Amino acid sequence: MVIDFPFLWESFTTLLNGVPLTLQLTALSVVTGAVLAVLLALMRVSNRWWLDLPAQAYIFVFRGTPLLVQIYIIYYGLSQFPELRHSILWPFLRQAYWCAALALALNTAAYSAEIIRGGLLSVPAGQIEAARATGMSGFLLMRRIIFPQALRQMLPGYSNEIILMVKSTALASTVTLMEVTGIAAKLISQSYRPIEVFICAGAIYLAINFIVVRAFAALEYALSPERRPAPASTADQPEKARA
Amino acid sequence: MDYLQLMGFGPNGWGYGMLAATGMTVAVALCGYLIGSVLGSLGAAAAFSRFMPLRAIAGFYTTVLRGIPDLLVIYLFYFGSSSVISAVGALFGAEGFVGAPAFLTGAMAIGVVSGAYQMQVFRGAVLALPKGEIEAARAYGMPSFLLFRRIILPQAARFAIPGMGNVWQLVLKESALISVIGLVEIMRQSQIGAGSTRQPFSFYLTAGALYLLITFVSGRGFRLAERRAMRGVRRAA
Amino acid sequence: MPDPAKTPAVQLSNIRKSYGEHEVLHGVSLTANEGDVISILGSSGSGKSTLLRCINMLEVPNAGSVSIHGEAITLDQKPGQPPRARDMRQVNRLRAKAAMVFQSFNLWSHLTILENLIEAPVYVLKRDRKEAIAEAEALLARVGIAEKRHAYPAHLSGGQQQRAAIARALAMHPSVMLFDEPTSALDPELVGEVLKVMRDLAAEGRTMLIVTHEMGFARDVSTRTVFLHNGVIEEEGAPAEVFENPRSDRFRQFISRDH
Ligand SMILES: Nc1ncnc2c1ncn2[C@@H]1O[C@H](COP(=O)(O)OP(=O)(O)OP(=O)(O)O)[C@@H](O)[C@H]1O
Ligand SMILES: [Mg+2]
Repeated sequence: MVIDFPFLWESFTTLLNGVPLTLQLTALSVVTGAVLAVLLALMRVSNRWWLDLPAQAYIFVFRGTPLLVQIYIIYYGLSQFPELRHSILWPFLRQAYWCAALALALNTAAYSAEIIRGGLLSVPAGQIEAARATGMSGFLLMRRIIFPQALRQMLPGYSNEIILMVKSTALASTVTLMEVTGIAAKLISQSYRPIEVFICAGAIYLAINFIVVRAFAALEYALSPERRPAPASTADQPEKARA
Repeated sequence: MDYLQLMGFGPNGWGYGMLAATGMTVAVALCGYLIGSVLGSLGAAAAFSRFMPLRAIAGFYTTVLRGIPDLLVIYLFYFGSSSVISAVGALFGAEGFVGAPAFLTGAMAIGVVSGAYQMQVFRGAVLALPKGEIEAARAYGMPSFLLFRRIILPQAARFAIPGMGNVWQLVLKESALISVIGLVEIMRQSQIGAGSTRQPFSFYLTAGALYLLITFVSGRGFRLAERRAMRGVRRAA
Repeated sequence: MPDPAKTPAVQLSNIRKSYGEHEVLHGVSLTANEGDVISILGSSGSGKSTLLRCINMLEVPNAGSVSIHGEAITLDQKPGQPPRARDMRQVNRLRAKAAMVFQSFNLWSHLTILENLIEAPVYVLKRDRKEAIAEAEALLARVGIAEKRHAYPAHLSGGQQQRAAIARALAMHPSVMLFDEPTSALDPELVGEVLKVMRDLAAEGRTMLIVTHEMGFARDVSTRTVFLHNGVIEEEGAPAEVFENPRSDRFRQFISRDH
């Protein structure tokens, strides 16, 4: 096979037009999804069954069904109800863009909630006790002791989740949105040259995900001073001498 | 027509259609999963190889396929094999686009993607093996193949079960995407039903319920397998 | 044909072993005759485990030779290349004769205690399964854990696991037994039960090489004591002699330190 470089380049630049939409959908759903996820995670760790149970059910349903079903239910399914078609929500729910973003957000919320919960539970009980012993409680305890540690604990998992979201935005193409995969499908069906288009689109997704991974690695480093080599400080030299 | 009639098994009901489609979903997911297991074990073996190029290929495979959308891979396989088939068809005088068989290309696409995930599972399982126990087996004179069969495989298998369960769930959900290339599994059947009855919500909700049922039941199955395999492993307190 | 009574059970000559640039054993020679119980002492990092593991080729020496019952293991020791045993079939055959007991037990965690005992006899030595089971049960009774035969290793105490591991070694009908600090991973109150089993084995006249920190045991039970320091043998002799009149200062220090 001879690689047709002009075609490759043309495909690449055409596909780049889809990147803003891919990024928008990712950002929108990740941010709204995160808010919902924190809520769900707090419900899960609340120790109150009437909060825990609905959260569990939500997570079970959204993790147990394909994202495609969720998108279709919202985009195609809801139109079955005339009441909804005449409500004030319809201008949003009529549009593929908002439907896809909503489905992605609801979906990632379920997965992220479990990551956040894992992070919260990873904080050693002894440290929480120690904080309580100094009189901390409630929101202060959460903000000063639990959250900073949980955040670091869940960064790797969360970075993975964002990569999954970048990939998931491809499903928006099934409801007519022209993000990178949508454009790729169109190019392929016009040109019948799947390999070249695939290489370009794949490279774009890999590049985006690479940036996500790097960004999270940097964030993790920044948030973990205790895992870095201790800075040489002259202040504690006398301490050592005494020991 | 109410919901029960719609999804029932009567003359106008879609029950049989949805049931058959569920069978198709399970079948294509299973085939993809098995293809993935083969690719995953080959990939894991390559990742542990002493031969650098093999390691590099395995690393490239798992990084790339876990980094790009599954839908894109499905398009590649479908249009890729279709264009090959069309080209071959043209040699024999056929004209225009000849579609590749959706089941086969779908299973292959899922297989290649899930193989990248299964490779990571197998790798992790092998890395989790207790080194001392392998050493003990060597010290008792076990040749490599026996050691692999009697000690490494059973132990790695049990470390791999939870991860394999996750990949299976992933594959099941991924199989919905094969509807875009026309395989009549749950999603495609629902689209057809939704189109002809104008009741999309009922159909997609049913589809969701069917997936939930499959993931729930198979999740149970994997949990059971894990519990059985974990006999003899001390629970982390 | 050499006289089996005179052929040493294990003969190490001039063993050298390096990890990378770092030479850990600087030419160690050691002979264990039939019925010898040799205790190998030495401080941490002196090379005791490495020496023991050179006997069954878990570590392949860079230079020197290893013979088991007069059969020399054929080694490829070319300078600049990692040393290796030429014939793994030979190595596996000899390994089955020299059963090893590990500090961390290393029972196979996916098999029950009984299955652990019959695994190598059935699959390596190709013995009849029924006979292997009958014998394994007798061995478990002997080390006092017959009632645990269907339990998994994780459900046993450390002392019980180590006794099971010794039974696993005995099930091989070994002609030499290699122990690498068999009691170091045990709680103090469990050490006694394992040492008792080993004492009985020594009294039977079994050939044993034991790396240990148990001075009392080394002194009472072994027929010979070897003191390793920085990869060379510093002191060697009957325990009664060397413990009373150590020739090497380092060994004197070693035994007077805290034992
Ligand atoms: N696989 C290895 N790679 C590199 N160095 C090693 C390896 N195994 C052992 N060593 C080094 O060889 C030296 C001797 O180790 P060895 O385990 O034989 O000591 P030991 O006498 O058994 O000590 P201990 O009483 O702590 O078990 C040590 O310096 C150790 O760091
Ligand atoms: Mg040691």
